[in-house]
Amino acid sequence: MHKYLKRFVHKSPWLYRINAGSCNGCDVELATTALIPRYDVERLGCKYCGSPRHADIVLISGPLTTRVKERVLRVYEEIPRPKITVAVGICPISGGVFRDSYSIEGPMDRYIPIDVNVPGCPPRPQAIMEGILKACEIWKKRIVEVA
Amino acid sequence: MLPFLKILVRNIIKGPATEAFPFGETYTPKRLRGRAELDPSRCLTCGICSHVCAGGAIAMTESADGRGMEFRLWHNTCTFCGLCEHYCPANAITMTNDWHLSHEQSEKYTCCEVQFVEYPVCEKCGERMLPRLHQRLSKGLVGSVSTAEIMRICPDCRRLTSAMHQIKSKVSLTAGRSNS
Repeated sequence: MHKYLKRFVHKSPWLYRINAGSCNGCDVELATTALIPRYDVERLGCKYCGSPRHADIVLISGPLTTRVKERVLRVYEEIPRPKITVAVGICPISGGVFRDSYSIEGPMDRYIPIDVNVPGCPPRPQAIMEGILKACEIWKKRIVEVA
Repeated sequence: MLPFLKILVRNIIKGPATEAFPFGETYTPKRLRGRAELDPSRCLTCGICSHVCAGGAIAMTESADGRGMEFRLWHNTCTFCGLCEHYCPANAITMTNDWHLSHEQSEKYTCCEVQFVEYPVCEKCGERMLPRLHQRLSKGLVGSVSTAEIMRICPDCRRLTSAMHQIKSKVSLTAGRSNS
């Protein structure tokens, strides 16, 4: 049964959003890619889920503020392996306009391994879809490696 | 009566609202601000772009041998605000409408716009000097005088021309006031 499922599982990755102190701009765009029929990320088999324990692909927005750092790491630990991380927006990638601020714990890849970067402030919904597609491909490879 | 029937028919005629994007083309507005691009043949190396850059994405470093200036724009910290394009006095930076910027982590630090602006050589002594301003300036005014015009003449004449311009504008202003 387990083997049988593995043949299909790569077709429907579940997405999970983490807001690591984002200004909400990228989160609005993320919601747009899923909720607005014009972009409709569910065509690709992706689906947003409410619990980190069901997630396959993690979308992180925000520059990782000092206050939220511990919580983000705790939530990230709950996501089952193999997890693919997508940094959405320039904040998690480089710190963006908040770089070198006193309350920013620096770029996300200092603490969390990132797989795909989607730069933009905020990125277009189409750009996010492109990033998710890239993540899906990595996930396909990784799920075979783990199996 | 039964208003949903009208909506149903309208939706059937209109077709799906979903874009074909990952499998087909998508609509990109012409003026969308995406990846910034530099034309090194127009750059003055004045550095106003790195000064106004909101995300601190632009770095300009002079090469060690003094041959020119290296322009480096890291897309991963660019906010697409377009300030560099707005303030560039020579129209060297343009925001293209290319938004295909997503990349894998291995390309994080190579996702840059790198251009080398070479300094021109003095015709007399062969020394490197700053790019010739009057050939490259295309917009902007110093007071009421066009900067492109003022860069071709010596500082003394420059002072004279801008003074004349100021006098002219003052005269026309007062004339306008007295007429009304």
